[in-house]
Amino acid sequence: MTLVHNWHLGRRMEYPYFESRPKRQFAAIFNINRCIACQTCTMACKSAWTYNKGQEHMWWNNVETKPYGGYPQSWDVKTLKLIDNGENTWYTNEKDEKLSPYGVYEGDTIFEAAAKKNLNQWAVGYIPEDKEWRSPNFGEDVAKSNKPDEYSSLPEHSRWFFYIQRLCNHCTYPGCLAACPRKAIYKRKEDGIVLIDQKRCRGYRKCVEQCPYKKPMFRGLTRVSEKCIACYPRIEGKDPLTKGRPMETRCMAACVGQIRLQGFLDDNPKNPVTWLIRHDKLALPLYPQFGTEPNIYYIPPRWAPRAYLRQMFGPGVDEAIEKFMVPSRERLAVMSLFRMAQAIIFEYKIEEGPKVFETVIHGKKFEMFNDTVIGYGEDGQEILRTTIEEPIHIRDPKYLNSI
Amino acid sequence: MKNGISLFKYGASLLGIVFLSATIYAAEETAPGVKGMSEEEFTPTKEVLAVKYVQADKPYHMDVESLKDRFKDAKGVKVALQKQDKAFPNGGGSVSSAEVKAVHDGTTIYFQISWSDPTKNVRAIAVQEFRDAVALMFPLGAVEVTPAEHFSPRMGDREKPVNLWHWKADWEADLVAKGELEDVEAQYPNMHDDFNTNPYSAYYHRELITSVAVLSGGRAANNLLSQPGRGRTVEDLNAEGFGTLTTQDHQDVNGCSHYEDGTWTVIIYRSLITEDPHDVQFVPGGNSYFNMAVWNGEEKDRNGQKNISTQWHPITLERVAWQ
Ligand code: SF4
Ligand code: SF4
Repeated sequence: MTLVHNWHLGRRMEYPYFESRPKRQFAAIFNINRCIACQTCTMACKSAWTYNKGQEHMWWNNVETKPYGGYPQSWDVKTLKLIDNGENTWYTNEKDEKLSPYGVYEGDTIFEAAAKKNLNQWAVGYIPEDKEWRSPNFGEDVAKSNKPDEYSSLPEHSRWFFYIQRLCNHCTYPGCLAACPRKAIYKRKEDGIVLIDQKRCRGYRKCVEQCPYKKPMFRGLTRVSEKCIACYPRIEGKDPLTKGRPMETRCMAACVGQIRLQGFLDDNPKNPVTWLIRHDKLALPLYPQFGTEPNIYYIPPRWAPRAYLRQMFGPGVDEAIEKFMVPSRERLAVMSLFRMAQAIIFEYKIEEGPKVFETVIHGKKFEMFNDTVIGYGEDGQEILRTTIEEPIHIRDPKYLNSI
Repeated sequence: MKNGISLFKYGASLLGIVFLSATIYAAEETAPGVKGMSEEEFTPTKEVLAVKYVQADKPYHMDVESLKDRFKDAKGVKVALQKQDKAFPNGGGSVSSAEVKAVHDGTTIYFQISWSDPTKNVRAIAVQEFRDAVALMFPLGAVEVTPAEHFSPRMGDREKPVNLWHWKADWEADLVAKGELEDVEAQYPNMHDDFNTNPYSAYYHRELITSVAVLSGGRAANNLLSQPGRGRTVEDLNAEGFGTLTTQDHQDVNGCSHYEDGTWTVIIYRSLITEDPHDVQFVPGGNSYFNMAVWNGEEKDRNGQKNISTQWHPITLERVAWQ
């Protein structure tokens, strides 16, 4: 084992390989507050990559209802149990912007739990059986009621559920990659995308076992495992639509609810993805305690119980929700970039506009300015331009009935 | 290693300890997750597997029934097996021994391996299912295994390659299946009809569905495991240490099996000499070494999770008796 730094955990942790970060990391932000669980993303992926024989059970992208849903069933509860040592807490008194923005995690990661239990493999895990991959939307829209007699009111509902959108996290320290005894799984230096080499894979299912997010899937027909490929041809700009520019993946681009923004985590503070994750800390990793440093980030749902959310997204939850409820001028502008273009945005610029609205939200003053936000592509060219106030189009009465 | 975990949580301030611990790892492990081997493991066993020359024509059916007679007078060796405990992931331990016999007829060499396994696992289509398997391993080239040589009996080593013959129970099932590959419907016969009682359903049109070409990375990349129509039950591979196992471009080995009363009998055969430089070559009158492993599918054995012998076993080939 070597020691690597995991900034989600705010500390070093054990991992079988050295720390080696890609030039820029494939990453995405999902605003849970906006998801309507229409599964358009799920079908966009299905129809591109897993429509074939032997892939019937595969949903590289899926949307499940929390707390009861799970694909495969109860994947998160089962993995949380495996790392539970009775003291999986966070030490949040001291933080460092760069090294430990959420504080320090004091429990075990999947790697540390395996070493502690002397498992003689790299990470704890389990293989979900075929029946657990069935009914991928089991538990849909089923609410949990903490106080059944009470009406719900914000900020926290007592009767709640929310949707969680899931795909491979293209982790910085992938459990799947660590688990593979053949080194058939690799993380690309250029964009951090994690892939299973389909020639080297021998269907051992160690990745299925040790990915805590259960995103590698075994294909019985071809006897090897497959997983989300981050639509890498699009990321490489091979799709003619964006004329050579890196393009967002199928599941991102298809998002009807406009909850998704995909791009790269890099060092540019004016990269909208980097800004929302590293600078604003509005978007949080999913189950950071697993220790893989996952790269899909979530804006937590503001109505769900905080304890549940803290378990799921770490201790950054309270601050993120507060920020989301009363967005700052810059935050509002950056959030307007979600789903405005298919080409990946590498940088944004804000041109200030006039103040158009003012109110008080949960006792806090909120001001809205009609700023213009501009998104730039990899080549520095403008990709899009949008305003905070969405333009209103009034249809000519002549066309009232036409579609 | 275990103490390390709690100490290193606050990383940066404990650099000194980090360094110390790295030194300790190095003493225990030759590579991450790989423990060093004992001198004993570099010494071959005393017992020699004599490959008897038998004059016999090739039977019409290459099955255990037709081939078993030629092993009648061959003296077998009993190979002790144990859990694989050197490279991550460790595992195995459910099969404690196997018997190996070998004969040749001047052109082909036959190995017969038998071991007891109360459960027969011949399919690996469901995600939680693993197959029974057995493999023989030979050093590549003219090698003298001595303690000084340090030729690893566990998957060989860098610059010390091995040739492996891996028999898989599911490949045998594939061989006789339609299209020479057991389809997912072999495991899930009603997969498309569970909720569908209409025999003329528009939802599932078997012919239409099966007429769509299979989109598969494994097949596109020419992964032998994914291909239908391999025409064999044994895979011919090479390795140069843990994690380096690679399928050969040229497949030369085949085999057959029989399972009865909780015992597997597997016969693996190949011509004594091949043209492939990556293959072990057998010369009557000459010698070589073998080692082996058995996988118990019921115990979810696969890859390094296997029952292994930890030493090389010498092989001598009887000369051809010309008549
Ligand atoms: S989410 Fe799972 S499959 Fe994806 S990179 Fe992380 S460990 Fe691997
Ligand atoms: S990134 Fe592409 S392959 Fe991965 S889940 Fe989304 S659509 Fe599927």
